[in-house]
Amino acid sequence: MTLYLGVALVAAAVVLFILQPVVRGLHASLEREDDELTETEARKRVALLALRDVEYDFLSGKLDEDDYRSLKAELTAEALAALEADEAAKAGRRVPAGARQMVATTGGADDDGVAGAASDTPPGGAGAEEALEAEIARMRGALRGSGVCPSCAYSNEEGSRFCSACGHALADTVTA
Amino acid sequence: MTLLGEFALWISLPVAAWGVILGYAGGRTQRGDLVLSAERSIYAVFGLLILASLGVGAAFLGDKFEYWYIASYSNRNLELFYKVTGLWAGQRGSLLFWALLLGLFSSICVFTNRNKNREFMPYVAGVLQTILLFFIVVLLFADVNPFERLDFVPADGQGLNPQLQNYWMTIHPPTLYLGFTSFTIPFAFAVAALLNGRLDARWIQLTRRWILTSWLFLSVGIVFGMRWAYEELGWGGYWFWDPVENASLLPWLTATAFLHSIQIQENRGMLKVWNMSLVLMTFLLTIFATFLTRSGLIESVHSFAQELKIAYIFLSFMGATLAACVVLILYRLPQLRTENQIESFLSRESAFLFNNLLLLGAAFSVMWGTMFPLISEGITGQQISVGPPFFEKVNFPIGLVLLALVGIGPVIAWRRATKRNLQKNFATPVAVGLFTGVALWILGARHELALVTWSISAFVLTVIFTEFWKGTKARARIEGEGHVLAFFHLITRNRRRWGGYMVHIGFVMMCIAFAGAAYNTDSRFNVQPGDVVEVASPFGHTYQLTYEGLSMTLNRGQRNLLWQAIATVSVAQDGDPKGILTTEKRQYTNRNTQPMTEVGIRSIVQEDLYLILSALNDPAGAVRADPDAQGIDLQVLIKPLVGWIWLGCLMLAIGTIIALWPSVDRTRVATEAPKSEPATAGAG
Repeated sequence: MTLYLGVALVAAAVVLFILQPVVRGLHASLEREDDELTETEARKRVALLALRDVEYDFLSGKLDEDDYRSLKAELTAEALAALEADEAAKAGRRVPAGARQMVATTGGADDDGVAGAASDTPPGGAGAEEALEAEIARMRGALRGSGVCPSCAYSNEEGSRFCSACGHALADTVTA
Repeated sequence: MTLLGEFALWISLPVAAWGVILGYAGGRTQRGDLVLSAERSIYAVFGLLILASLGVGAAFLGDKFEYWYIASYSNRNLELFYKVTGLWAGQRGSLLFWALLLGLFSSICVFTNRNKNREFMPYVAGVLQTILLFFIVVLLFADVNPFERLDFVPADGQGLNPQLQNYWMTIHPPTLYLGFTSFTIPFAFAVAALLNGRLDARWIQLTRRWILTSWLFLSVGIVFGMRWAYEELGWGGYWFWDPVENASLLPWLTATAFLHSIQIQENRGMLKVWNMSLVLMTFLLTIFATFLTRSGLIESVHSFAQELKIAYIFLSFMGATLAACVVLILYRLPQLRTENQIESFLSRESAFLFNNLLLLGAAFSVMWGTMFPLISEGITGQQISVGPPFFEKVNFPIGLVLLALVGIGPVIAWRRATKRNLQKNFATPVAVGLFTGVALWILGARHELALVTWSISAFVLTVIFTEFWKGTKARARIEGEGHVLAFFHLITRNRRRWGGYMVHIGFVMMCIAFAGAAYNTDSRFNVQPGDVVEVASPFGHTYQLTYEGLSMTLNRGQRNLLWQAIATVSVAQDGDPKGILTTEKRQYTNRNTQPMTEVGIRSIVQEDLYLILSALNDPAGAVRADPDAQGIDLQVLIKPLVGWIWLGCLMLAIGTIIALWPSVDRTRVATEAPKSEPATAGAG
């Protein structure tokens, strides 16, 4: 008797527990968090981190100068494309009506960016390149804040004064 | 309690089914209430499985032999320790234990993600619950219910197989199961990504720690199994390419490949289909390993069960999972296009890719060798076993190239490395490797394979230590820290990188130890009390072993022992007394087994001295304690470097724990957004 009472109690508790959300209308969130990077932001960041990686490989003697220069030119082009895509996406979010067109334009620039990489000339003209440089500088600042080494892209603990991978000073650049 | 456990198992069936339906439905309709209910059903199933496991535990402790499982794996005399661990002593309990661990990990996963990664969770809950449901169905309907009752109540149980009455055997299966079951979480996230269409590297980042945890348990579990074989089976070996050993190695190989290839996806946005395939393959192999271990399909030292119904259920589940995942991958193929291409053969990506191909090649050969006896039986009616020579011939070269890659990886740049720089970076390590080979040759080592292994190991260690040294030096200089402190900070500030290197050092240590087996010695002596035998070690010293005599214990009652013959041997090294070693024959009362051997092991840094009491000259006389029946066959093995396997495993575990410790690489972000460039073959 006690056994069946126990079983009934367990079963009742389980049924109540799993049915409650449906009956009482309790909802679990299904939304993606806001603090996550958007796809274009993430891509931009990866392109810039790749630039840092190449710098680290060069500084630690794994790449020679010629390769470093050509790789850097390619990556700069990629970063530029990523940057434009991100800006287009942001613009798209601000002006929903024009979004489709903006994204289409970005797609073109994207392809050109990759093609342009082969000829070592970042596309988009001088203005775009300046924008890229500014963005890289800004990203560097942001990376510094988060403990990522501006020289080699390694992630240090927040508040680190020097990079644990390459020894680059982190603290003094925060104020820079 | 046992009856309550049995009911709990039955209640878990509809609850799990409910969770499956609501998980997928909630994901499809994006209804939060359905998803919450599905998530709660996972907690509920876990709770019910705890009740069921407690039920089995209570039956063991209460000697309830009316249950088939208890009667088959326990008896009144069994030590309490083995009763407590009885849950995973046999097939039926193990399957319940598997489900229990899966319930635990699923609950942890749902709980830790209750406020984040919500877009994945409906399908994650659905997938986890599907696998839980599968195991519950197996337990209830495949003739493997641990609560099945006999028609009568035996006076006593059959007791536990004596080979399983060993400390390592109680921790080896749970560790492996932890590895197997925790890999379900990355698999669930991968399937969820395929279902919700979020196919960037997010699911990989979210599960990286799960993958590492699972890999750690798998690695350690396999080594625990080796340790058990080494101590308990009494042949002096730790790996015999037994089907069940192979079954645990298979998911380890693919999981190792996966751990490396996800780094390419994170860094370069490549290999998306490949990673999906690897996670699917690894998951299926964990199920396959469970199936092989617990179905008795292939005869081996591990297989204590002989049931076929369960085989069909397992195979259908694996087939259905494979089919469903292949369809999903094909459906999502356009979104799984690679974002970049490998730019040069000389690059870290291609080194990683090569590593993957080798690991998969090894996995394929192990799979083939394991399944071959079955295939040959199916076709010709005769079981032809391929045996260790096949596995060794194929896997030793693969292992050596993999070992070399461990050294090449850190020095080679992403995208494209420059030959001249490679030459510069490799000059010293290669010189050290060659020097090691030549030095060992001069010292008398002549075994080619071992020499090659040790040379490559020296090369790899030089590369890794150089990386550590460069980092420490830079940090010490800039921070003005002492070298020890700088070294410590170096590791803690980039755990993923340096932890990985430590894992590699552990792997190299194990390879060095494996090669030591080339210098195993094996001598047999028939000795009488007082006899002294000499055995030379490959390291130059000599052991003098004095056989002191045999002592016999009868009917001690404990541990179901009928009798126990203990041979005592005094050990001296180059004349220096080093204490005594004992080796035993044991006859257990139950299960009509042959006498078991307990070996005596003396470990020093460079080697193990391993004594086996291989036979009693006159067993009947020895049991009567006849003073003239003390002669024995003593087998003396010297096993160079064996201890380094366990040390290497420890190093590997420490490295993995460092790499997965929280706060690693919070800022590392992976590639996103499909690009419009023309895709190369996704699986490339």
